[in-house]
Amino acid sequence: MRKLNRNRRVIIAVLVAIAAIPAAGVALAHHSFAMFDSEHQIKISGEVTKFDWTNPHIYLFVTGGEAGKEAKAWTIEGASPGILNRVGWKFNMIKAGDQVTMVIAPLRTGEPGGLLKEIRLSDGRIFNNGGFAGPSTISLKDEP
Amino acid sequence: MKPACRAAAAVALTLVLPALAAAPAAGPVPKIEGVNFSGVWEDPNPQELLPVPGAPPVQRTVIPPAPVNDKAKAEMEARRLAQQQNRPTELTGGAACLPVGFPGMMRPVFPMEVLQTPGQVTIIAEAFSQIRRIYLNEKQIAFEDAEPLFWGHSVGRWEGNTLVVNTIGIKDSIRIDDVPHSDKLQINERITVTSADTFEDQITVIDPEYLTAPRSWTYKYVRRKDYKINEYVCEDNRLYLDPTGQQRLRLGQ
Repeated sequence: MRKLNRNRRVIIAVLVAIAAIPAAGVALAHHSFAMFDSEHQIKISGEVTKFDWTNPHIYLFVTGGEAGKEAKAWTIEGASPGILNRVGWKFNMIKAGDQVTMVIAPLRTGEPGGLLKEIRLSDGRIFNNGGFAGPSTISLKDEP
Repeated sequence: MKPACRAAAAVALTLVLPALAAAPAAGPVPKIEGVNFSGVWEDPNPQELLPVPGAPPVQRTVIPPAPVNDKAKAEMEARRLAQQQNRPTELTGGAACLPVGFPGMMRPVFPMEVLQTPGQVTIIAEAFSQIRRIYLNEKQIAFEDAEPLFWGHSVGRWEGNTLVVNTIGIKDSIRIDDVPHSDKLQINERITVTSADTFEDQITVIDPEYLTAPRSWTYKYVRRKDYKINEYVCEDNRLYLDPTGQQRLRLGQ
């Protein structure tokens, strides 16, 4: 058991090291996504307090959290307006006071922040966060 | 000539002369030379921007490793060790919202726009609103006169369907794979218009002080007829470095 744990720790350390290697060549995005934990995505719901449609990233400020957990003020990073315009977003489609549900890759630090994977708006429409963010591992389609 | 006629002629001249003087400014539009490839372009398969669920990952243009000499290797290793020992205190490059520079901006992940005007080809990349200007049929300036810039000094000429471009004067901080370069760095391009809706850019990096051979790769582009370039100002950078040198995200409104 002890050995298994050690092996598991080694594997995790190797995976983290691989994730930390910067992509060779020309940088793809504004920054590396290493600070976000895409392996342990979570679903959070809450009320939008502000929506910033800016470069290099858009930000959603949402008060809420995972079902059954304490509500917090979350800072959620999205792609850039140029990318999101092309996957169907609109600069004014989210407003303060809207209820949203999101799948996010949380910050590894445990702070209330994360990288958006997918979002469901008050009217039920679901949007992804462009290609750089990578796929959502939780479906928003069938759940409340 | 009768006095009345003289007066009429004088009036006519007064009216006509200013028009004649202004005429040269309203001459024919100067000719744009070469092949018309003005318009908006991007990667043939922009899946990195626009995900296609379930689609296999796209094979990207790979920039081959730089054939670096011993001097380059030593500098890169020293830099790597220094970065390991002294934690970074400031963000750099894209993370600091600085533009990619040339030749990195030619990577066609985000759309780019080509504008052709007499004597000039201008390339505008959507990401970071980067602009490079290629001056046609001009002699390249001397290395010692080339102020280091993000996009350098580019001159070009058309050879059939190919715009042959030479660029010098790139800032030291504009690097690919952290390979250093000297002030003798030259980047040659063969921008070939392969059809009405496709072109490619063969890029060759030459640096006698750091590379043992040229480093070359090719980017391909397809036309996006209905796309309008977005403005891009890096106005809300929430990245910062914490005291351990790790990138962090500033939270809260």
